[in-house]
Amino acid sequence: MAEKRSNEVDGAFVEEGSVAGGSFVPTVRVPAIPGLFLEEGGARVLGNRCVSCGTPYFPKAAECHNPHCGESRMEDCAFGGKGVVWSYSVADFPPPPPHKFDKPFKPYVIGVIDMDNGLRMVGQMVDPLESVRVGAQVELVVDTLYHEEGKAYTSWKFKLV
Amino acid sequence: MREVSVLGVGVHRFGKTGDDIVGTKSVTELCRHAVQMALKDAGVSWRQIEAVAAASSRFSGGKGWGLNGNDIVEDIGSTGIPVYNLSAGCAAGGNAFNVGYSLVAGGVYDVVLVVGGEVMPKGMIQTSGVEEATDPEFLRQRCVGMPGPSFWATLARRRMFDHGTTEEQYARVTVKARKCSVGNPFARFQKEISVADVLASPYVSNPLRLFEICPVSNGAAAVVICSAAKARQFSGKPVTVASSAVATLDFSDALPRGLAGPVPAGPSFHTEAKSAVLRAFERAGVGPRDVSFTELQDNTCYYELAFPEEWGLCEPGEAQMLLDSGQTTPVGCMPINPSGGFVSFGEATTAMGVWQIAELTWQLRGQAGGRQVPDAKVGLAQSNGLGGNATAAILKR
Repeated sequence: MAEKRSNEVDGAFVEEGSVAGGSFVPTVRVPAIPGLFLEEGGARVLGNRCVSCGTPYFPKAAECHNPHCGESRMEDCAFGGKGVVWSYSVADFPPPPPHKFDKPFKPYVIGVIDMDNGLRMVGQMVDPLESVRVGAQVELVVDTLYHEEGKAYTSWKFKLV
Repeated sequence: MREVSVLGVGVHRFGKTGDDIVGTKSVTELCRHAVQMALKDAGVSWRQIEAVAAASSRFSGGKGWGLNGNDIVEDIGSTGIPVYNLSAGCAAGGNAFNVGYSLVAGGVYDVVLVVGGEVMPKGMIQTSGVEEATDPEFLRQRCVGMPGPSFWATLARRRMFDHGTTEEQYARVTVKARKCSVGNPFARFQKEISVADVLASPYVSNPLRLFEICPVSNGAAAVVICSAAKARQFSGKPVTVASSAVATLDFSDALPRGLAGPVPAGPSFHTEAKSAVLRAFERAGVGPRDVSFTELQDNTCYYELAFPEEWGLCEPGEAQMLLDSGQTTPVGCMPINPSGGFVSFGEATTAMGVWQIAELTWQLRGQAGGRQVPDAKVGLAQSNGLGGNATAAILKR
């Protein structure tokens, strides 16, 4: 996904865009929350990991929460890659604020993913319900969550591989 | 620690804003009804109440600061007594009961009022109240959009994978719950419903349907608790508090509550609920198989199956068979939510933990009418709330 969005405009990325008055107007892609994930160079979320016991955290934890860990030693870490579906559900109705979505609302699958990097993560799935199964292989991607004032706001999501 | 009794209980029937039950009543009016009923049941006058432990609401009353106990005192009589306003999300009622219980058990006061009441906004509960990138609940709702029903639905889906639970079995939990609610004068819904009705209701979050998820309700509950020694001075019919416990979730909890956590080595449990319930068992000196009946937080029918297994009331995967053979009804060997549960009441969030104590009290006194558990001796109540809060209480005859 990343290579198709390598066009950088003011530090943000562009997506499909639109044609207005005969000229191509790119849609600026901005993260729904800055500093939480990366798109360029492959989708990754920004967390940290305790170097002592290896426990991963996203978002970043101030200290290691593992009661069996001898010493909390936190190091920043970007997590991406693949995982398997632990479970999933569907947002059949629009969630209340602070969620934001494009209208009309389209139901989406929510995945709970056990990642190879050691994190159990939640995120929207880009795939339709019919294709999702417990145990299915997925990868982390960055995709559009909603549009506002001509910008596409993105988040991390999961895609079947 | 002194022995503590529940001396009197009161509930305002649950309803929905604008209906014939609660109409346009404010949370103060709902609470006033519950408090006056509890005082009368206890044979205690307002002037004999030495302190108030109140559940703090973020939705109604409390002057917008969660000062719900102060609202009660202002409404019923400014006797200058201490007021404790307790916040624990949907577990606030159970938390208030625990604080009231601890104050009486510890000898600080003899007679304490515990109260919770709500007038809820319509629709799905907006879980995050702040828009700050440092708030994990805000991040989860903005970046994913996973309200309560979708959290429960992922657990229900996983159970279908682990134990082969069917959508029809989930529907039968609701059918059982609604059957219990028939004749319960405090339930919002008091009519039976069929499996076909449940399966015809739309998905709120697949695989969970509208009739399998508790709606929000308006309602209130109050209990008067008292040191067992002093209880004899009043006319109320006391029930013993065998234990009351509070817990929060721990590191081993691997349920998808935030954005991410470490993949667990073993199965995933609601660690806050399990800790609170196991502590309550330990302090009461009773085991899970000694419980005559349980009132647990069934925000969705999934919990009627999952929680009894997580707490050792039955074996993992066994609850749906007990359901199918009628053992979870009031006359079965493992009665779950004889009141009809949250699915029949709707959730008036902070009232729930207090209402459960009222329900346990009626059952243990043999005053539960058509939903009575025969020869009920020991009752377990459990509530959960946002932030990883849980409470449990065991009452006995």
